[in-house]
Amino acid sequence: MRSRDGNKASLLAVCSIIFFLSSALQAAEYLVSYRYVIKDMILYNDSFLISPAMKKCNGTPQRSLDLILQGEDNLMQLVSNNNEAFRKFIEKIGLEIDHKEKTTNFQNSSSTIITMKTSCFKVDFNDNFARISHLK
Amino acid sequence: MKYSMLLVALLSSSTLFAQNEHKEAYSIENTNVAQVTPQMNHAEEKVLEVNHSMLISVIGQGVAPMNTASPAQAYALAKRAATADAYRLIAEKVKGVRVDGQDVIKNMMVKRSTVRTSVNAMIRNANVVETTFKEGLCEVEMEIKLAYSQFAQ
Repeated sequence: MRSRDGNKASLLAVCSIIFFLSSALQAAEYLVSYRYVIKDMILYNDSFLISPAMKKCNGTPQRSLDLILQGEDNLMQLVSNNNEAFRKFIEKIGLEIDHKEKTTNFQNSSSTIITMKTSCFKVDFNDNFARISHLK
Repeated sequence: MKYSMLLVALLSSSTLFAQNEHKEAYSIENTNVAQVTPQMNHAEEKVLEVNHSMLISVIGQGVAPMNTASPAQAYALAKRAATADAYRLIAEKVKGVRVDGQDVIKNMMVKRSTVRTSVNAMIRNANVVETTFKEGLCEVEMEIKLAYSQFAQ
C-alpha cells in the first residue's frame, strides 16, 4: 500500500498536466459569413461577419487551414491579420455568385454579389498556430 | 362464282398495293433519319463523359477605383474585382446565362433598347493560375476542373 504523501504528489502532477494542457489548447466554434459587391468592375463593398457560436455546431471538420499565431486569441483577430489566406480558404469551400447586367441603349452597367452563406468553423488554438476547420 | 373470283382478285391486288405503299413510307422515313443524323453530329459540343474531366479556363478583368490610398491598395481592390469577374465567367460557361430583352418602338423608331442578363451559381474549387496588373487593369486567369462524378446523381 502506498503512503498518503505519494498519492498526493501523483494527483498534483496529473492536475498540473491537465491545467497546462487546458491552458495551451483551446477550441472554439464560430459562425462566419462573407460578402462582397462589385459594381461596374470596381469593388464596392467587402465584409466578413464573424460571431462566436452560441450553441454547438453539427457536422464534421472538412477542410482545414493552419495559421501561425501572433498573439491572437479569437477568430476575428486571426482573420484581420491573415485576411488574404482566409479568403483563399473560403474560396475553396465555395462561393455563390449572383450577377446582373443591364444594357440600355448600348450603355452597360453590371453588379456582381459574391457571398458565402453563414457557415460554422471550428478553431483550435495551439501553442504557436491555430487550425481553422470548416464544419459540414 | 365468277363474281366471287373477281372479288378475291381485287382484294388481293389492293392488299399488295397497300403493302407496297407501306414499304415506301418506311423507306422515306429511313432516308429522312439518315439525312438528319449527320446534321446532328455536325454541331460538335463538348460533353462531359464518364471517367473524363474537363478544364475550363477564363480571364476575369477588374479595375482599381480612382480614390485609393496607395498603389498596393489599388492592386488589391482591382484583383478582387477581377477574381469576381472570373467567377462570373466560369458560372456563365458552366451554368449558362439568363437573357431578357426589351425594345420600345414608337412611330417606327427604337426609343429604348434594354438587355438584361443574369447569372446565379455556386463555384467551388476554382484555382487562380495567373494575375497581371497593367495600367490600372487587373487580369486574373482562373481555371476549374469539372469531373463527371460531380454531376452524377
